[in-house]
Amino acid sequence: MVTYIIRRLLLVPVLLFGVTILIFGMLQFLTPVERSALYVRDIPKTERQVDGIILKYGLDKPIYIQYWRWLVGTIDPVTGERTGGILFGDFGWSRTGSQPVAELISTRFPNTLDLTLWAVAPVILVGIWLGVQAAVHHNGFIDQAGRIFSIVGTSFPTFVFGLLMLMVFYANLQWFPPGRLSTDMQAVVSSDSFKTYTSLLTIDSLLNGRFDVFLDALRHMILPILTLSYINWATFLRVTRSSMLETLRQEYVTTARAKGLPERDVVYKHARPNAMISVITLAGFTVVGLMGGVVITETVFDYPGIGKAAAEAAGQLDVVTVLGFALFNGLILIVANLVVDILYATVDPRVRLS
Amino acid sequence: MGIQSTNNEILLRVENLMMHFPIRRGVFQRQVGAVRAVDGVSFNVKRGETLGLVGESGCGKSTTGRTILQLYRPTAGSIHFEGVDLVHFKGEELRKMRRKMQMIFQDPYASLNPRMTVAEIVGEPLMVHNVGTGKEISERVQHLLELVNLNPSFANRYPHEFSGGQRQRIGVARALALQPSFIICDEPISALDVSIQAQVVNLLEELQEQFNLTYLFIAHDLSMVKHISDRVAVMYLGVIVELADRDALYSNPLHPYTQALLSAVPIPDPVADAKRKRTILTGDVPSPANPPSGCRFRTRCPIAEAQCAESRPEFREIKPGHFVACFFAERFI
Repeated sequence: MVTYIIRRLLLVPVLLFGVTILIFGMLQFLTPVERSALYVRDIPKTERQVDGIILKYGLDKPIYIQYWRWLVGTIDPVTGERTGGILFGDFGWSRTGSQPVAELISTRFPNTLDLTLWAVAPVILVGIWLGVQAAVHHNGFIDQAGRIFSIVGTSFPTFVFGLLMLMVFYANLQWFPPGRLSTDMQAVVSSDSFKTYTSLLTIDSLLNGRFDVFLDALRHMILPILTLSYINWATFLRVTRSSMLETLRQEYVTTARAKGLPERDVVYKHARPNAMISVITLAGFTVVGLMGGVVITETVFDYPGIGKAAAEAAGQLDVVTVLGFALFNGLILIVANLVVDILYATVDPRVRLS
Repeated sequence: MGIQSTNNEILLRVENLMMHFPIRRGVFQRQVGAVRAVDGVSFNVKRGETLGLVGESGCGKSTTGRTILQLYRPTAGSIHFEGVDLVHFKGEELRKMRRKMQMIFQDPYASLNPRMTVAEIVGEPLMVHNVGTGKEISERVQHLLELVNLNPSFANRYPHEFSGGQRQRIGVARALALQPSFIICDEPISALDVSIQAQVVNLLEELQEQFNLTYLFIAHDLSMVKHISDRVAVMYLGVIVELADRDALYSNPLHPYTQALLSAVPIPDPVADAKRKRTILTGDVPSPANPPSGCRFRTRCPIAEAQCAESRPEFREIKPGHFVACFFAERFI
């Protein structure tokens, strides 16, 4: 197990190198003027300024030198100050966000993470539970009902469902507003007495003992949570169901019955853990997909997450910001993949050896 | 070869057992027919003996075995084990009965849960039936592994770390864990290499002697069945066509199907092999969803007559201990 994890960890730098090469490659499609946003806030206007920046940041140097400088940044020979350098967390200046890209990510990402955690837990638990029930009562009522709901769920476009929710629960009933927080609650959060522990609003509000802030945050998140859940749980149901059906037909399940195990143990101790192997992959990709920002859902509900920021940047051709997000996404994917692989090995002893 | 039982105590009595799997079609899943996998099977198994059950693939041997263990619920018939009818057992009662009857499965690769260690696989039956404390169970597991000639230090390994023969021995250890009196061996060696088959069969024989086990040995390898069985039953398309002591059956088969099966066994002597008369069957086994009328075997039988299509031949005792389901069995005595 330990050797497996170490071997898997050794892959991480290789993957990281691949990701940076890809992103850097895409940056090369930009003009030097556009690329200067990696280093300066104001896009140079006159030709002299442009030449100065090209010279200063080596934007006309051979590509490997540019790559190196992109990684570690450029040190001003006079002041000794570093500009750029993604290894030091400087992803450049975001024109649309009017702040450094890294700062934009660090303010937006916790919101997305918050939403992801709240959306993922019910999706996975409910989806898996229903999938197991559907398989155990194959062709029974739960199975048929699940089949209908999952067809509707997977074929309903997010923006339609989201707008529908907004129409009913905000426009008509006024129950769940879009956005992140109400104005008065925003004031509480911004005040000095509200301490930041995790940057996740729901958790921080509880840690601060502000239950009202927590409820307000949740009230704003319910519609996006429902929308994300609705699309994803159907997938979980279907995958769990088919995996479970296959497992229940395995001979070792018959063995378990022949041992004299109660049916409950046959299903939950023998069949389900084996069926979970394929579900873990799906869970990993779902979580990564949600953390990378759910562009449509966040846009529809005006939720200040990473997806909405990326969409805005893309709309205004703010390529440096978009690629900053892409790089960040790549990092998340690598980490999540690592977690999934390790989970795999804990769940399936056969993986450890291969 | 098991010990010839000195007493004639009947451990298992199967009467007119039927297992029909429904075929459903259409929007409302109406039942349009049934696969008559087992269609009226009767036999006894005496304590301490090995009854061989042979037949082609798909003839219902495995279904018979699984139905006896109530892994399928039979459509009709009765299964008396130690005098009690299992067919009406449910839930807890049935689980308790499982202590006394176990099964060794055909495929040692598929029948062990890949996520459990050997210790868990072998020890689980003890755990669910509350036999002993944790320490006692782990000692018993070690002992069981020794019994099947596996190194007890392998207890914490997973099934995929073993070879086919070793895995099958884990399956044997698991079946033995609860000290059952009756074990159904469902083609326990057909998935193994020939070189490993003898190893497992010998182990089964040793264990039978040691614990006075009773086996129902399901197989399609006639020479292996001859080696291990005291009596042999031959199945064709869901019914038993012949049942007799091993020697009687192999030396003087009375059913044309048994004759055909035995004549397909190669003799390791080219001269004798060339001289003997072969009975070669033509055609395929009919579908169990739509079996022929009368005698099941009549469509492929070399001696079939009009009578065979009209009524089903009775499964009768033609000589002491020799049962045949054929109208013309007397011809071969």
